[in-house]
Amino acid sequence: MTSELSLRAHALRALIRRDWLVARSYRTSLVTDLVFGFLNLLIYYFVARALRPRIGVNLDGAPSYFAFATAGVVLALVLQAGTVVLARRVREEQLTGTLEMLVAQPIDPPELALGLAGFPFLFAVGRAFLYLLLAGVFLGLSFAHTSWVGLVVALCSAGVGFAAIGISIAAIILVFKRGDVLAPAVVVALTLLGGAVFPTQVLPGWLDALSYATPTRYAFEAVRGAQFGAHSWIVPSLILIGFAVVGLAVGLYLFTLALRYTARHGTLNQY
Amino acid sequence: MSACDVMRAFGKRRVVGPLNLDAHRGERIALVGPNGSGKSTFLRCVAGTLTPSTGSVHVGGHPAGTRQARRLIGVSLSQERSFYLRLSGYANLLVFAQLREPIGRARADVAEIVEELGIAPIAAQRVDRCSTGMVQQLALARALLGAPALLMLDEPTRSLDTAAIDRLWAAIDRRPEVAVLFATHRDHDIARCDRAVDFEPS
Repeated sequence: MTSELSLRAHALRALIRRDWLVARSYRTSLVTDLVFGFLNLLIYYFVARALRPRIGVNLDGAPSYFAFATAGVVLALVLQAGTVVLARRVREEQLTGTLEMLVAQPIDPPELALGLAGFPFLFAVGRAFLYLLLAGVFLGLSFAHTSWVGLVVALCSAGVGFAAIGISIAAIILVFKRGDVLAPAVVVALTLLGGAVFPTQVLPGWLDALSYATPTRYAFEAVRGAQFGAHSWIVPSLILIGFAVVGLAVGLYLFTLALRYTARHGTLNQY
Repeated sequence: MSACDVMRAFGKRRVVGPLNLDAHRGERIALVGPNGSGKSTFLRCVAGTLTPSTGSVHVGGHPAGTRQARRLIGVSLSQERSFYLRLSGYANLLVFAQLREPIGRARADVAEIVEELGIAPIAAQRVDRCSTGMVQQLALARALLGAPALLMLDEPTRSLDTAAIDRLWAAIDRRPEVAVLFATHRDHDIARCDRAVDFEPS
């Protein structure tokens, strides 16, 4: 049993390491990607300056609009990595034929899904911390009231929850092939509904109510709670973990069904 | 490997079978037939990446497509680009070896097979800089990882030079206990198999 588990861990590590090696081979793209994230923050930094003095709504305890938006932008990057990047990755594997070779190996569909999602998740969470750090050093973001444990828990549970959404989208792409629009659309919808760059109170009532059904709302609340200390990060984190566990189970099940579907219809390699 | 009444159709077009085929330990079977006769489709059914429309395939007593069956199979399908093109051949082999074995054994396995096939210069290069024949040799190396009991090779000599073909057959000869399904058009390959199974276009 132990050796079987250890083999599964090796398989996951192999897939994560492979993605890291592939990402590293595109050095310019890797650097551009990192710079782009920081530029994104910079935009909100200047928007926040233009909006001074404080805007008249509750900013979830954030001392400024920039501090408020930083959490949203950083988490949106995690969400994008967990969905768009993973979806693109699955499609590439499908087109080149590596997906079929992976499926022919002795690994189960859930392991394969987790292996494919592993690197985008780790990279996104790492980037999120990097951006927060850069915002602190260069743009004056304060961490005076930050709970670092809370921030780690919130970002990691958000990453897992978003990866679960990504795995579900990957399953859809396996079956329907073209997911170019689906993943970005999901990102935009979840980002807006969750209150990434504006408080959800400004949404129409029914949209605000709908946002309670999205993991992003709790992700933003948890991160802002941990970052600014104005409210607890524990409750939204627990809800987020609940989303992550259920979402992961659903996503892995859908991915397994999708692989079975492609084997039955002979579309594992289809363009 | 035991294939029982295997038939595969795409829509209304029947591509394979119904076909009955058993491959025993150490047996080399050439799958012969013109393009489109279903050889690759049959191999995919055994590999578990394609489900037969009817019939069943078992490998070592396990249904095709299960983890246990896939552990027994080494496969090279006719996908020339089925590698991570930005990575070296060695890195590619190591990824696939680690899906079968712990890291230490995977490294040793890759090193042994690379040496056995004499492909160290190929394995050192990025795959997108390799020719079709070079990639095909990497595909053979990948199929040999993890000491499979059943080796399935889809036209593995198609783009190889004579020396590489000799190395391929030498590698198969060094594994007399391994059952081999060898899809090919070449008489030279067919002659080295124990028997041939004809695939007719449906």
